[in-house]
Amino acid sequence: MGSFMKVLKAEMRKQHKNYFFNKSIYITLFIWPLLTFISAYYCYKPFRLDKIVGGLDYVNESNLVVFVLIGYLSLVFFRCFVQSAWRFSMERTFGTLELIYLTPANRLAFIMGNAVSSLFESIWLFVVFASGIFVLNASAYNIDMLSAMLGIILLIVLSILWGMLLNALFLFSRDSSFLFTVLEEPMEIFAGIKVPAAVFPIWAKAISAVFPLTYIAEMLRRIFIKGDGLVQIKGFVLISILIGFAILSITILCLKLGERHAKKTGSMALF
Amino acid sequence: MLRAEHLSKTYVTTDWSGFLKRKKSKVEAVRDVSLEMRGGQIIGLLGINGAGKTTTIKMLSTLLQPTSGSIDVDGLDGVRDAIEIKKRINMIAGGERMIYWRLTARENLWYYGQLYGIDNKQLAQRIERLLGMVGLAEKQDIPVERFSKGMKQRLQIARGLINDPGYIFMDEPTLGLDAAIAKELRGYVKDLACKEGKSILLTTHYIQEVEELCEYVYVMDKGTVIAQGTPKELALLGMENKVLCVELHENHERLHRSLTEACQSAERNCSIIWDGKNMAYTITSSKDLSSTVAKVLLEQQAVFKKFYGQEPGLEDAIIKLSRRDKDGFFYEGTEGRDEKTA
Ligand SMILES: Nc1ncnc2c1ncn2[C@@H]1O[C@H](COP(=O)(O)OP(=O)(O)OP(=O)(O)O)[C@@H](O)[C@H]1O
Ligand SMILES: [Mg+2]
Repeated sequence: MGSFMKVLKAEMRKQHKNYFFNKSIYITLFIWPLLTFISAYYCYKPFRLDKIVGGLDYVNESNLVVFVLIGYLSLVFFRCFVQSAWRFSMERTFGTLELIYLTPANRLAFIMGNAVSSLFESIWLFVVFASGIFVLNASAYNIDMLSAMLGIILLIVLSILWGMLLNALFLFSRDSSFLFTVLEEPMEIFAGIKVPAAVFPIWAKAISAVFPLTYIAEMLRRIFIKGDGLVQIKGFVLISILIGFAILSITILCLKLGERHAKKTGSMALF
Repeated sequence: MLRAEHLSKTYVTTDWSGFLKRKKSKVEAVRDVSLEMRGGQIIGLLGINGAGKTTTIKMLSTLLQPTSGSIDVDGLDGVRDAIEIKKRINMIAGGERMIYWRLTARENLWYYGQLYGIDNKQLAQRIERLLGMVGLAEKQDIPVERFSKGMKQRLQIARGLINDPGYIFMDEPTLGLDAAIAKELRGYVKDLACKEGKSILLTTHYIQEVEELCEYVYVMDKGTVIAQGTPKELALLGMENKVLCVELHENHERLHRSLTEACQSAERNCSIIWDGKNMAYTITSSKDLSSTVAKVLLEQQAVFKKFYGQEPGLEDAIIKLSRRDKDGFFYEGTEGRDEKTA
């Protein structure tokens, strides 16, 4: 365990120095989410959200901002990895991945370090902004603190697991631009961030079911807007935990297969 | 002691030739190679491009799994105890990759040290010592991107020693360095073996390096070891050969053909190597071909810079041993043999 933490910490520090050396990166990390948040807000506006069957009855004109904001905040948590995972895959082309594989370091700790560092580096500014808006709007709601805490913990844990999965996929993928396109836009749409998932036809709902973001965003909205307690959100919690385990298993499998493939063929590109 | 026995590696690669069609191809990169490394010893691994040197090194360093054969490091099994072995070995490659350019020298070493799980206090001391040893102590807090090639390579050496390995594999460590820095690096390598008792396996394309450093040499060709011995023993193998060099001012297309034809008809087992970078031919054969070559040069009215005979050495032994296909003749396109991309 000690060496796991050592690798995790070292990796976080390295990623911080390697990618966040330039302060201007924070501007893109902030301005971009802000613009897309505004566009999402106007995307939602035309929908009569209270008329949608399937449980969006708690949304109205006055809390729409917070509704979109929570969705957007969750999206930022999950999306910040796509870019960093893509940069991470450079480690393969640059040969440093091979040197890492030459060490006895725990592979999971290594990709986790990258995920944790990119999460906290890329979201903090937006989190501050979102909290500000939320505080301005939140006085009217009555929030169950326990479920709020659980919701936030699940958001962080699941997004880190998601980031680890992306890292593992990108690390061993020959064509990471493909993953980039597949994961960027669809997640925003299908997870109900831009368009309410409840209006989707059944096939699109099936797609949205794969993204952990779908559940997390909906759960947080219910906690923070509707004031749901632990009992009402237990279904979401359960699904999130299950998905978390599934993601972790796929990640570990991917790392194992990747290393085995590399040892066999001498090439780090698995697919 | 590290002992590798009957190592073989066949790469199986899959090429997608259509949307669904795929073609599997096999490359037998290493075949039945056995070698030994002892403490304090520098071993040379020689051979032309594609001979299988890097593949052998990667198998020894647990990055590649041998198709067959076994590796034993201090009684540990190469496949079963890979994690334990990783703590005792390290690899140093030439070229400017494999370090983080935005990190400083110290940060790079610190990072790799953490991956080996080295205790922080011990690591700090070791980094201090290594930076001093490779002469980067004063530049330790500058990002690596501002380093020169030679400085990066020195950092690479320090990195390769961060876990205090007993066995070090060096794959062309002086690639692309100027003569002075290469010499300095050879000094480090020598010290590592003599003073610190490390066991080093070195691949290189510079024969001088082998003659200066290596105690024992394995010559590889097409994946197998075709000769082994001390550099002196091996040099003797090339002794009976005569070596001629012709340096041209410019590339002369017709000369290629007439020279090869003439030399080949005079002596079937000769080798002609064209070095495109230096515009030079090296002709090695068991007979003296100077009059044949001179005649061709005159006939073709080739303007040459230099035309001279050379003492055969280890290099000629390797050429003689390596590139002889069934006609005993070898002609290497227009690429320079010393030109290598990392
Ligand atoms: N990952 C790989 N997949 C398929 N074939 C490979 C792979 N790596 C190397 N080979 C092939 O294996 C053979 C040996 O390559 P290797 O890199 O070991 O040679 P080398 O002696 O190190 O050459 P050089 O002096 O150019 O570095 C070559 O024919 C090469 O094409
Ligand atoms: Mg090589």
